[in-house]
Amino acid sequence: MTMGEAGLASGLAVFAFVSLLGAAMGHDTAFSFHAALACVASLVSVVVIGNRYLDRPAELPPAEIGGRPNYNLGPIKFASAMAMFWGIAGFTVGLIIATQLAWPVLNLDLPWTTFGRLRPLHTSAVIFAFGGNVLIATSFYVVQKTCRTRLAGDLAPWFVVVGYNFFILIAGTGYLLGVTQSKEYAEPEWYADLWLTIVWVTYLLVFLMTLVKRKEPHIFVANWFYLAFILTIAVLHLGNNPALPVSFLGSKSYIAWGGVQDAMFQWWYGHNAVGFFLTAGFLAIMYYFIPKRAERPVYSYRLSIIHFWALIFLYIWAGPHHLHYTALPDWAQTLGMTFSIMLWMPSWGGMINGLMTLSGAWDKLRTDPVLRMMVVSVAFYGMSTFEGPMMSIKVVNSLSHYTDWTIGHVHSGALGWVGFVSFGALYCLVPWLWNRQLYSLKLVNWHFWISTIGIVLYISAMWVSGILQGLMWRAYTSLGFLEYSFIESVEAMHPFYIIRAAGGALFLVGALIMAFNLWMTVNAGQASETEGAGALQPAE
Amino acid sequence: MKAIIQIESLASSLISTLWTPIFVGIFIAIVGYALWPRNRTQFDAAARMPLRED
Repeated sequence: MTMGEAGLASGLAVFAFVSLLGAAMGHDTAFSFHAALACVASLVSVVVIGNRYLDRPAELPPAEIGGRPNYNLGPIKFASAMAMFWGIAGFTVGLIIATQLAWPVLNLDLPWTTFGRLRPLHTSAVIFAFGGNVLIATSFYVVQKTCRTRLAGDLAPWFVVVGYNFFILIAGTGYLLGVTQSKEYAEPEWYADLWLTIVWVTYLLVFLMTLVKRKEPHIFVANWFYLAFILTIAVLHLGNNPALPVSFLGSKSYIAWGGVQDAMFQWWYGHNAVGFFLTAGFLAIMYYFIPKRAERPVYSYRLSIIHFWALIFLYIWAGPHHLHYTALPDWAQTLGMTFSIMLWMPSWGGMINGLMTLSGAWDKLRTDPVLRMMVVSVAFYGMSTFEGPMMSIKVVNSLSHYTDWTIGHVHSGALGWVGFVSFGALYCLVPWLWNRQLYSLKLVNWHFWISTIGIVLYISAMWVSGILQGLMWRAYTSLGFLEYSFIESVEAMHPFYIIRAAGGALFLVGALIMAFNLWMTVNAGQASETEGAGALQPAE
Repeated sequence: MKAIIQIESLASSLISTLWTPIFVGIFIAIVGYALWPRNRTQFDAAARMPLRED
């Protein structure tokens, strides 16, 4: 037995005992429930580690077989499958809350199914569960391929993927039970945050140690983006979440920061979650998967270096644009606005680089719906990174803030950019991992069109509704009274909420088609003909 | 003690004044590195990295 196996198994055994005590002595049901989950998960993990030790050969898998790197694909397969699962779950919850907004009676009048609890479940499921698993899967794949070396660590990569998904489980069930620290995109309570810290630091170490033992002298640009994503998310998570629990046996805690400082920390975190999770990480996907799929080199490697560092230097300052016209000092608001506008340039640098990588291969857009999906995602990236800086301008923000325009903007980035580039990456990755041919390109084409129509319905409904809302709120009568009551603006939203829900339903249908396609690829697909294109040595 | 505090506040105000030119300098150096003609072949090879097979 290796030190890692023995150490992790005994550590988890101790943790199982501590969790059992927590479950028995917890002050609230949710805490006891989570402690019980942790206890069961730790015990199962100990058994799995033991079985794995008994089943495996005495030697650990070699780093190379016949001069070729022996890539570690198991954890990547797990994360890819989880990404698809959480994607469907997250889109479904999104559809449910969209229909609740149109027909409030659908919240069933139960505490667990109210909008306030389901909304963070939706955002966390799509961003952190779906997006996070896509990022972990692709980062583990890309770093191995471009460094030509096996992933560092034996159990560590498994700890990262399983531990991360356990964090999602704790966070998600917590929201349903009403456990939240009420910070947007950082809702999980203190014990979930502590667990994520351990998992994330392990992720950083696995990624770094793989880079350290690389066989390629040059570190490919996608790895720079992944590293920026992992490192910055660690810093953001630690900065935004210091909290004092009311009791170490209860779920409630209080954030260390107070008042406007808390607001500033929150949006420093929140906007950089956009910048480094939803942008840098997915740009890394773009820089590996688009050249690979189009069989063209990166259009301008120089531009990739410059726009990478420009993004890194600028993004971190843009957060205050979420706090225009609040108690935040005016200079900080203006600073946030200025940096947001400057961000337009590096964002479009990335978009141009991604699109121009197709030079000489544009014809493939007609025949390859997977490539089309990724290219359209880059176009959505360009569109939403133009819209974002525009909305950060204070006079525009005075109309757009607190309206559905913001929701529309977020979804053109999330559905169009993050969603489509992830779908494209998974359509590439699953056949490579399982050494199969993709089951059906025709179904990818259906997925592409159904989801694209869904996105267009969604974002155009939100633009109209948001601007209408903003204009109604600021309309005055000739006598200086507000022309509309708030409830009148809510009433005016109704048709747009129905259109939005229809768009979300189409997006979900597309994802279901994808899940079927990938399932058939793995379970009934033909073995890949060529050993070459993307096919790797099996790990186990 | 007083001297230490004085040095510390001097250092902190220096850094908070100087970080803008420092960061701008670092960024200009990065742009120079990216555009340096002699790095061209290395970057052209790096641009093909996703296409390589083992």
